[in-house]
Amino acid sequence: MKRRTVLAAATLLAGSFMAQPSQAQDVTLEFVVWNYSLETIQDNIRQFEAANPGIKVNLTDYTWPDYQDSLILRIRGNTPTDVVYGGQDWLPAWGSAGFIAPLEDVAPKEEIEALAADIAGFARTDVTYDGKIYGLPYYADTISFIYNKKILADAGIPVPTTWEEVTAAAEKLKAGGMDKPIVYEYNQELPNFYDAFVAQAYGRGAELFDTELNPLFADPGNGAYQQLTWLADAWSKGLVQAETHESKIIPAMNTGQHAFTIVYTYVLAALNNVADQPRAGEFALAPMPGATHSTLGFAKSYVITRQAADDPERAAAAWKLVNFMAGKPYTVAKRWAVEKGLGFGQLPLFQDQDVIEAWGKWADVKELGAQAERARAGTYTEFSSVWSAYFRPLLAKAMVGEANVEQTMKDGAERWNQLKEQFASR
Amino acid sequence: MWEIRRFPVLWLLPALLPVALMTLYPVAYALWTSLHSVMLLFPGEPFVGLDNYARVIQSNYFQDALANSLAFTAAAAPLVVVLGTLMALFLRRRFFGVQVVRSIVLLPWVLPGAISAVLWIWVFHPSFGVLNGLLRNLHLIEGSIGWLTSPRLAFVSVVVAHVWTQIPFTVVLVMAALAAINPETLEAAAIDCKSSWRRFWYVIFPEIKAMIVVLIVYNALTAFTSYDLVYAMTGGGPGTATTLLSFQIWRESFSMYDFGAGSAVAFIVVLISAVLILAITRALPSDLFGSE
Repeated sequence: MKRRTVLAAATLLAGSFMAQPSQAQDVTLEFVVWNYSLETIQDNIRQFEAANPGIKVNLTDYTWPDYQDSLILRIRGNTPTDVVYGGQDWLPAWGSAGFIAPLEDVAPKEEIEALAADIAGFARTDVTYDGKIYGLPYYADTISFIYNKKILADAGIPVPTTWEEVTAAAEKLKAGGMDKPIVYEYNQELPNFYDAFVAQAYGRGAELFDTELNPLFADPGNGAYQQLTWLADAWSKGLVQAETHESKIIPAMNTGQHAFTIVYTYVLAALNNVADQPRAGEFALAPMPGATHSTLGFAKSYVITRQAADDPERAAAAWKLVNFMAGKPYTVAKRWAVEKGLGFGQLPLFQDQDVIEAWGKWADVKELGAQAERARAGTYTEFSSVWSAYFRPLLAKAMVGEANVEQTMKDGAERWNQLKEQFASR
Repeated sequence: MWEIRRFPVLWLLPALLPVALMTLYPVAYALWTSLHSVMLLFPGEPFVGLDNYARVIQSNYFQDALANSLAFTAAAAPLVVVLGTLMALFLRRRFFGVQVVRSIVLLPWVLPGAISAVLWIWVFHPSFGVLNGLLRNLHLIEGSIGWLTSPRLAFVSVVVAHVWTQIPFTVVLVMAALAAINPETLEAAAIDCKSSWRRFWYVIFPEIKAMIVVLIVYNALTAFTSYDLVYAMTGGGPGTATTLLSFQIWRESFSMYDFGAGSAVAFIVVLISAVLILAITRALPSDLFGSE
C-alpha cells in the first residue's frame, strides 16, 4: 500500500513537470550581420529582447568584404543561423540555393503584403525573388555623385551635369594645382565597385541587360561601354585618386585636395558630420551626370534562413525579430536614418519630421527624394554575384589602362553567357 | 615476445592514421573536387573530368597569375637571400647596440602577414603614406604617387613588403651557419685575404653555401605560394597586377564560389612548385653538397 502511494505521488509529480508549459526563454536566435555600427545593432537587439521576453538573440558579425563567403560557408556547414543581413545582389542565389525562405513561409501573407506596400519600388524589387518577398529593408540607398561646393565655387566651375563636364571641371582644377580632383572607391573585391559603375552607366541611361537577360554592355553605343571608356580616360589623364574603401574617401575628401567622388549616399552624412570632419558642410550631391541622371538604388534586407523557417518556434521568433527591425512603426529604420544617415526603403519615413530634420543637416532632402525617384534597381540573377566577382577585376584592369575596354566588355559578356547556360543546365 | 622489427607498420599506425586523416583525406577530397563542378551557389556537383583544369588554364586570370607568381618568385627569393645574408654578416660584428639592432631586424618575423600588410599600406598610401610624405618633404615629388594603385608600382610595393617580412628568417639561419664556421679558419682568412669580398667568396661562402641553397629553395616556395600579404595589401589588384596563383585559388573558391576551379588551380600550383624545386636544385653546382 505504502509502495503504491509513493509510486502514485511520483507519477503525479512527473506528470505535473511534464504538463508545465515550455519556457519562452527556450528560443535563441542566431543573427548574422556585417560589422557596420555594431553598437547600434546590439542596442536594437537589447530593445528587442526587452520587448520580447523569452527570445534571446546571439549576434555574429563578419567584415563586409568577407560577408557573403562567410555566410555561405556557415549555411552550407549547417551552423545554426536564423536571421541574416541580405543583399540585393545575393538574394536570388540564396533563394535559389534554398539558403533563405520567403517571408510568406513564416508570417501571414496579408501582413507581409501590408508591409511591402510601404516599400519603395527599387527596394521592393531587391527583396523579391521568383515573385516572393524574401526580406524587409534594413536600409535602402542610392549611389550618389558628390562634389565639394566650396572648391567648385572658388574655381568658378558650375556643377557638372554630364561626364564630359566632369572631365572638363577636373582638368581645370588640375591645371589650377589640384593633383587628383576625383577620388574613386577602387576595390575590385567589393561588390560596390561594380554597383558604382552601374550607377554611373545608369546616369547615361544605359541598359546593361535586355529582358531575356542577354548582356548589352559590349556594344560600343551602350552607356556602360562609354562609361568605362570615360573612366579609363580620366585615369590616364591623372585625374583620379584611388582609395580602397569609403572610410578612406571621407578623410581624403576632407583634405580639400579633391572635388568629386561617387559613393553610397550615406557617406555624404559622414562627410558633412560637423563633429569630426574639418570641411563638413562643403559637400553636396548632384544628380548623377549623364542624359537621364538616373542612378542605382538598392536595398539591404533582413532575411530568414530556410533552417529557421523549417522550425516553427524559431520561425516565429525570427519573424518577430525581422518585424521589429524593419516593420511598423519603422522605429529601427528611422533610427538608422536619423543617427547614421542610412537611406530607407519604407516610404512613410520620407514624411517623418525627425528624419527630414536630421537629413537636412547633411543633405538637400528634396534633392535626395528626387534622386530616389530616379533610381533604378540593378539586374540580379542566381549567378550575378559569381559573375560580378569575375567581372570586377576586368573592370579594374580596364580603368587603369591594363586592358582595353572592348576586350573587357566582350570578356564580361562571354562569361555572363557561360554562367547563364551553366546555371540553366543544372 | 612482440618485437618492433616484426610489426613496424602496426607500431607506426597511431602516428600514420592521424597524418593520413589530416593530409591524405583533404588532398583526395580536393582532387575529387577538382574533377567535379562544385559551385556553392549552383545545385548539384556533376563530374566534369578535366574541364576545370582546361578552363582555368585557358583563363586570362590564370595566365596573369602564373606570370605574376613567377616574376614575384624570381624577384623576391634572390633579394631575400642576398639581403638576409648581408644583414647576417653585418650582425655578426660586435658593436655598441648590436643586440638592439638584432631585435629590430627580427621584428618583422613576429608580425602576422596581415599586420605587416597594414603597416606597408600606410607606408605606400597615396595621401597619408610615409613614403609619399618623405618624397614630398624632400621636394622630389609634388602630388602623390599611387604606389598600390598603379599596376607596376603595386607589384614592386608588394615585393618590397614580402622581402621585408621574409628577411629575418634568412638572417637567423645564415647567422647559425656562420656560427658553425671554425673560428681558426676565419682567423687564417683574415690574415691571408685583405679584401672582405675575397674573404667572403673564397672562405665564408663555401662554408655556408648548403644553407644558402636551402634558403633559396625555401624562399622560392614561400614567394611562389605567398597569399596573405597580397590579399591584405592589394586584393590582387589593381586588376590582376598583383594576383598570384595562391590568391587565384582563393578568388576562384571564395569570390566566385567555384571550388572545382579553385581545387584545380591548387593542384596546378603543387605541380609547378615541384617542378620549381627540381629546377632550382638541378641548376645549382653539383659539388654543392660535396661533403655528403
